[in-house]
Amino acid sequence: MDTLITIDNLHKSFYDGDSELKVLKGVNLDIYTSEILSIMGASGVGKSTLLHILGTLDRPTSGSILYEDEDITTFSERQLASFRNNAIGFVFQFHQLLPEFTALENVAMGRLIKISKRNKSRDTDLNNNSTYQDAQRLLEDVGLAERLDHYPSQLSGGERQRVAIARALINQPKVVLADEPTGNIDDKTSQAVLNVLQKINERLQQTFIIVTHDSRLAERADRTVELVDGKIAD
Amino acid sequence: MFCLLQYDNLDYMKFDWFVASRYLLSRRKQSFISIISIISIIGVSLGVATVILVIAVLDGVEHGLRDRFLANEAHIVLRDFGSAYFSDYDRKIEEIKKVNGVVAASPVVYSQSAIFRQDNNNIDAVILVKGIDPELEENVTGFSQFVKGSTGFKDTRIIEEASFINDVKITGGIVLGSRLAFRIGVNEGDVLRLVVRMVEDALNPDSLYPIIKHFVVIGLYESELTVYDNQIAFIHIETAQEIYEKPGQANVILVRLEDAERAPEIAQKMTEPPAFDKIQMPMTTTWLETHAPLFAALELEKIATVIIEALIILVAAFNIASTLIMTVMEKTRDIGTLRTLGSSRGNIMRIFMIQGSVIGMLGTFIGTALGLGLCWLLSTNIVRPTPWLALGLVVFLILIQIVIAIRHLLPYAKIRGIGFTILWVIAIAFGLYCLVEPISLQELGLSQIYQMNQLPIRVNWFFVGFINVLSFVICWLATIYPAWQAANLNPIEALQYE
Repeated sequence: MDTLITIDNLHKSFYDGDSELKVLKGVNLDIYTSEILSIMGASGVGKSTLLHILGTLDRPTSGSILYEDEDITTFSERQLASFRNNAIGFVFQFHQLLPEFTALENVAMGRLIKISKRNKSRDTDLNNNSTYQDAQRLLEDVGLAERLDHYPSQLSGGERQRVAIARALINQPKVVLADEPTGNIDDKTSQAVLNVLQKINERLQQTFIIVTHDSRLAERADRTVELVDGKIAD
Repeated sequence: MFCLLQYDNLDYMKFDWFVASRYLLSRRKQSFISIISIISIIGVSLGVATVILVIAVLDGVEHGLRDRFLANEAHIVLRDFGSAYFSDYDRKIEEIKKVNGVVAASPVVYSQSAIFRQDNNNIDAVILVKGIDPELEENVTGFSQFVKGSTGFKDTRIIEEASFINDVKITGGIVLGSRLAFRIGVNEGDVLRLVVRMVEDALNPDSLYPIIKHFVVIGLYESELTVYDNQIAFIHIETAQEIYEKPGQANVILVRLEDAERAPEIAQKMTEPPAFDKIQMPMTTTWLETHAPLFAALELEKIATVIIEALIILVAAFNIASTLIMTVMEKTRDIGTLRTLGSSRGNIMRIFMIQGSVIGMLGTFIGTALGLGLCWLLSTNIVRPTPWLALGLVVFLILIQIVIAIRHLLPYAKIRGIGFTILWVIAIAFGLYCLVEPISLQELGLSQIYQMNQLPIRVNWFFVGFINVLSFVICWLATIYPAWQAANLNPIEALQYE
């Protein structure tokens, strides 16, 4: 299997005045193309911090992350925004859909941002029509063909999470980062959400990195690693 | 907003506009435009509308006064030292007319007299008597257009008739300021006595006795300038020379120019060689000098008003800033989400700057329309329909909206919102049309103070443009801090914001 991401000796500390809180203490991990990797661990152990750094929302104190042989910890603010837009999809515990926009618009959002960046460099092979067609297809994939024009407030918890998954996939990222994707919904619904996730992984061959403390979710992953005391347990 | 325009491809703005317009329009899906945006827009509108209106009134007063001064007065008044009399005024006038920019000039005998009615032995008023040559004066001040009645000062038929009726010797005709005539209670055809000078009593060397001349009122002078209408009277220059014993002399020359604004420059020229050598009139007063304190006061008033009004717009801009800060707080999680989706800080900044700028622009536009509309209503004399019609329309609209709200009619919220917005705009505009009329200063008893009968309105288009730009720039500046704050939110903290 090809290695997509290599995490090398990653440290992260938070500072509160003079006191230093070490959260990640030298994480080493290889993540392979198109696998479903679950990262488990007790709460407060730094799972979310690791995910935020992988998603470039936060920077590590030291260490490197090679994404297709490029060290993303050295990217500028502008490069990071573009990297998040193109290479990464996020799914959160709380769906984080934008309440003023319909399901279709929420899914299309990432592509609209991409178009706005592309237009600056006069590349016009992307356009709004194909964006909404792609968004519609993704919503059909997650079983929400009937819900395109509904606002988040008109959807159930499981439906919102499925919209969030569709949204994460709009720019065909190589990696989808999910932070407790089933943490906020009931068992039956989370099984349905996980089915969708697995189906998409099989079809689109995206890499899924799922942070969870739900062992049933971990069972469905290709590989599970555990974060203990700021390091990956052997 | 402006920072966007540097990109030549405007498609680039699509995403920012898409999000900004959604935040602006549908805070809640059922409302056409969010109430907080409306309040901000109204704030800016009222500021801009009052600025335009107040400046139009101040400008109206200034120009109303200027126009009246210029119509009634000479642009330059020439005198000798101590207002001494001179006899060669015909020659002087010929020389003055040779000066570049001069249109006409006329000689005047200025004097003061006490007057009293025929049936009264007490003095009614002390007035300014202006002895004029009616034909020459006409070219300088347009004298006759303000006279109601006759300007035939030496019309023998009128004089003989008045002499006969009143059984006195009438010296000539007199045109009296209209307010003066009203105040002392005389009218056209009445006889007025003027004390023209005092002579020593030969029998009683310690006392003086007055020389009194009788004049018949042939017309009333109504310039709408209280200073004149209250204290001036016109007689023929030859009559004046005769009664004041200055045969063939005058003490003032009045000059009209092609361009009144050039008065100071031309007056200067007349007092310098070579023109002065021939004219020999060392004392010049321009109309601007005569009224300098008034114009200075008006100018100061305008500056003070602009400052106060700019502060009003500033307050409205603070309103926009607080609206945006509230929106940013409310949208904190959304901002975090947008950042994870790959929006740059620039995107986030622009979303909120667009939102604030659109509020500023709409407010400025509506305020300008409202201000200009009020200016038009305040300066248009047509009979208005009864305000009850407008009230009826408003009540009708309220009833319809109540019925719709209760019965859940019309499901198309957006169309209904736009429709009712249009209807409300029409109702308010119609209400203003019914209610706002030109303000009569006469009815308010202010016409004496302001020297005019109706509140004057003059729209200064340059200033309207200026205030539009100013308002927009202030509103735009107000968006910077909240937008910057939004752009610099930490995405992780934003996502976890409750």
